[in-house]
Amino acid sequence: MLYALMGLGLSLITGVLNIPNFAHGALFAIGAYFLVSVVGVLGNFWLGLLVAPIGVAVLGLVIEYAGIRRLYAAGHDYQLLFTFGLALILNELIIVIWGPVGISHLPPALLRGGLDLGFTFYPKYRLFVMAMAGLLVVATWLFLEKTRYGAIMRAGIENKEMVSLLGIDIHRLFTVAFALGAYLAGIAGALTAPIRGLSPGMGVDMLGIAFVVVALGGLGNLLGAIAAGLLIGIAQAVVAAYWTEASTAVIFAVMALVLLVRPQGMFGIR
Amino acid sequence: MALLETHGLTKSFGALTAVNAVSLGIEAGTLHSIIGPNGAGKTTLFNLLTGTFPPSGGRVSLAGKDITGTPAHRIAHLGLSRSFQRTNVFPAFSLLDNVWMSAFATAKSWSGLLWRRADRYPEAIERARAALADVGLADKAEQQAREISHGEQRQLELAIALAAAPRVLLLDEPAAGLSPEETRKMVALVRTLKGRYTIVLIEHKMDIIMNVSDRISVMHFGALIAEGTPAEIQRNPEVRRAYLGGMAA
Amino acid sequence: MRAAVLILASICVLPLIVRPAIASEIWIFAIFGLGLNLLLGYTGLLSFGQSTFFGSAAYVAGYLLKYYGIGVFAALGVGVGIGAVSALLVGYLCVQRSGLYFIMLTFALNQLFYFIAYQWTSVTGGEDGMPGIPRPALFGVDLRDPLHYYVLVSAIFLLSLWLMKRIVESPLGRILQAIRENEVRAEAVGYHAPRFKLLAFVLGGAFSGAAGVLYAMLFGIVPLESIGFVFSGNVVFATLIGGSGSLYGPIIGSFVFIWLSESMSVMWARWPLLLGVAFVIVVLFFRGGVVEAWSRVWRYSKRTA
Repeated sequence: MLYALMGLGLSLITGVLNIPNFAHGALFAIGAYFLVSVVGVLGNFWLGLLVAPIGVAVLGLVIEYAGIRRLYAAGHDYQLLFTFGLALILNELIIVIWGPVGISHLPPALLRGGLDLGFTFYPKYRLFVMAMAGLLVVATWLFLEKTRYGAIMRAGIENKEMVSLLGIDIHRLFTVAFALGAYLAGIAGALTAPIRGLSPGMGVDMLGIAFVVVALGGLGNLLGAIAAGLLIGIAQAVVAAYWTEASTAVIFAVMALVLLVRPQGMFGIR
Repeated sequence: MALLETHGLTKSFGALTAVNAVSLGIEAGTLHSIIGPNGAGKTTLFNLLTGTFPPSGGRVSLAGKDITGTPAHRIAHLGLSRSFQRTNVFPAFSLLDNVWMSAFATAKSWSGLLWRRADRYPEAIERARAALADVGLADKAEQQAREISHGEQRQLELAIALAAAPRVLLLDEPAAGLSPEETRKMVALVRTLKGRYTIVLIEHKMDIIMNVSDRISVMHFGALIAEGTPAEIQRNPEVRRAYLGGMAA
Repeated sequence: MRAAVLILASICVLPLIVRPAIASEIWIFAIFGLGLNLLLGYTGLLSFGQSTFFGSAAYVAGYLLKYYGIGVFAALGVGVGIGAVSALLVGYLCVQRSGLYFIMLTFALNQLFYFIAYQWTSVTGGEDGMPGIPRPALFGVDLRDPLHYYVLVSAIFLLSLWLMKRIVESPLGRILQAIRENEVRAEAVGYHAPRFKLLAFVLGGAFSGAAGVLYAMLFGIVPLESIGFVFSGNVVFATLIGGSGSLYGPIIGSFVFIWLSESMSVMWARWPLLLGVAFVIVVLFFRGGVVEAWSRVWRYSKRTA
C-alpha cells in the first residue's frame, strides 16, 4: 500500500513535470524524520502525522520554485543531476541533524499491540497504515478524477502545450504537482517510521522501489502506479515469507521480467 | 509489370481509416504523383510504404517481391528511399556527413564498422558528393546542416534520399515551405532526376504535378478516386469536385 | 596532436603532484567516463546505471583474483567481459525505451544488481565489501609499488583512449551520433537504432568493466558503493562537467571530480553533502557556462591541432 502511495506521487511528478525525480526517496525519508522531530516537540503522534507531510510538501514547493523551475528546458541529464544532488544533500542533512544511527519510533499508544484476526495476530499499527495509505490513495485519486483541478493536472500529463494554451498557469500546475507528490512521499515516510524504524539510508531503498512501481505502472499512468504499487507490495510480502533476503532484489527482477515481455510496463500506453 | 505495387493497402487507426484499400502500380522509370487535399492519407500511404508502421490490410510488392510490413530500417536496403515533408536532417552534422550517413547505410559492405576511420570509405564518399552535386549543394558540403537556409535544407533532404542509390524515390512534398523561386528550382531539380529514378511524388502544388508527372493518382478521404495522365485528371469531374474545384485548371 | 601531447604530459607530471594512488584513481575514473560518454555524449543516452558494469566487473574479477589467483591480464579480460555481458543484459531491456523511461530503467536495474550484491554476503561481503584483492606481479614487476601500478594504469588508460578514439571516428561513431541527432531519420536511412544503441551499451560496459577491475586492484577492496547509484551519479556529473560533447571531456571531468571529492573528503565526513551542493550549483549556474565553454575550447583546439 505504501508502495502505491510512493508510486502515485512519483508518477504524478514524472508525468506532469516530465523530470526524473531522484530526490523522491529523500523526501520520503525527510517525512519520517520530520515526524520524529514534531512528535518530539509536540508530543503527539497524530499532530506529527498531520504536520510532518505538510513540512515535506513545503520543502517540495521550495525545491520546485528555487530549482526545478529553472530546469524544465534543460534536458533530462541536468534535471537528473539536480535531483540527484538534492538527494545527496538531503541524505547528508539527515545524518547531520538526526545522527547516523538508526532511530526507532514507537507507534502511538492507541495503535500498539496486535489485533487478533482469528488466524493470526496482526500488528495494529500496520493495519492502520494500510487503512491510512489506502485512504490517501483513494483521496488523491478522487481529487485527480473528480475535481476540476485534478482534471487539469491529468490533462497536463497528456499534453502540456494544450493546457497552457487553455490559459492555465502551467508553472503553478507544476509547482502544485510537485508539492503534492512531495506530500505523498512525506506522509508515506511518516507512516513508515514506527514500522521499521528510521535510518538515513531509508530514502535510497525506497527510491528504487518507487521507480520500479512507476516503470511497471507506466509513466504518468496514475491508476497503473497504484495497481503496480499494490502488486509489488504483495509480491514482496509473499517472497519475504519464504526467502527474506532476496525480497528486495526480487522486486527488481520482477520488473526486469515484466519489461522484457511488455516494454511499456503492465499498463503503460507510452 | 509495375516496379512498385500496392494491393488493397489499408490503414486504420481505431475508427479512423486513413488509407482505404489503395491499389497502385508504379511503372519503372516514371514519375508518378499522388495528390489530394489535406488529410487525404497521402503521407500515411508513404508511411506504409516505408515501414513507419505496418498496414492493417493489403500488400506492398517491389519488383514482384512482397515487402509488406518491412520495418523502416530495412526499407532503404531494399531500394526504397524517402524524403520527408518536414525537414528531417541531422542538424549538427555537415552536409556531407548528412548525406554520407545515407550512402554508407546502403553501401555494399560495412566492414571495419568499428575501427576504420569514417572518411576512409571512398565509395560512400563518392556517392555522397555526387548526391550533393545533383541537388546543387556541392559547394556547401562542409557547412553544418543547421546553418543553411530552409530552401537549402529541402535540397539536402532530397540529397539524403538520393545518396542511397535507390530504385524508387519517394518524395513527400519536396517543395513544402518554399518560395516561388525556390519552388521553380526544386521542380527543375526533380525534372533532372526523372528517368534516372522511379519517382513517387506527393505534392500539393498543382503546377508542379501537372508539368512533371507521367501519371497522377488522386486520393480523397483515404481512397483512390482517380488515376491517369495529367490531361485525363484535369478533365475528370470527380477530381474537380473533390480537389480542383475552384482552382483554375 | 596537441591533445595527445597534453595528455602524455599530464600522465608524466601527475604523480609528481599528487600521490600515485590518486593519480591512478583519476585515470581509472577517466576510463569509466569514456565508457559512459559513448552513451551519453555520442548516442544521447543518459545511462544512469553505469556502476552496474563497473561494480559487477570489479566483484567478479576481484573474486577470481582473490580466490583463484589469476593474473593481471586475465583479470582485465574478465573485467571487460563481465562489463560487456552485464551491459548486454541491461541494454537489451533498456534500449526499447527512450527518454525518462530509459533513465529510470537503467537506474532500477542498477538497484537490482546493487541489492544482489548487498544480500549475497557470502560472495560479495555485503556492506563490508570484498577486501583482500591482490595485485599480482606482471612480467616480474611488483605492482604493489604504487608507482609501478600507476604506470600500468596509465598504459591501460592510453589504450582505452586510443580505442575510444577509433570507435568514435569510425562509421559506428557517426551512426550513434546520427541516432542522437535524429533517430527517425537514422532509421529511415537504414540503421536499426535499438541494435546500435545496444552495441554502444556493450562497448561502454566493456570500458566500465576495465575501470572496475583496475579500481579493485588499486584499493585492494571492492566496496559496495562501487555498484551503487551514487557511483553512477558521480560519473555522470564528471562527464557533464568535463563536457559530454568531446572525446576528452570525461578526462577533464575525472580530474575535476577526483580533485573535488578528495579535497572535500578530508575536510568533512559529511562531504557527500558538499558534493550534492556542487552538483546543484553546476546545474543551476554553470550549465551551458563552464561545460559549453569547456567543450568549445576543446573543439577549437582540436580543429587547430
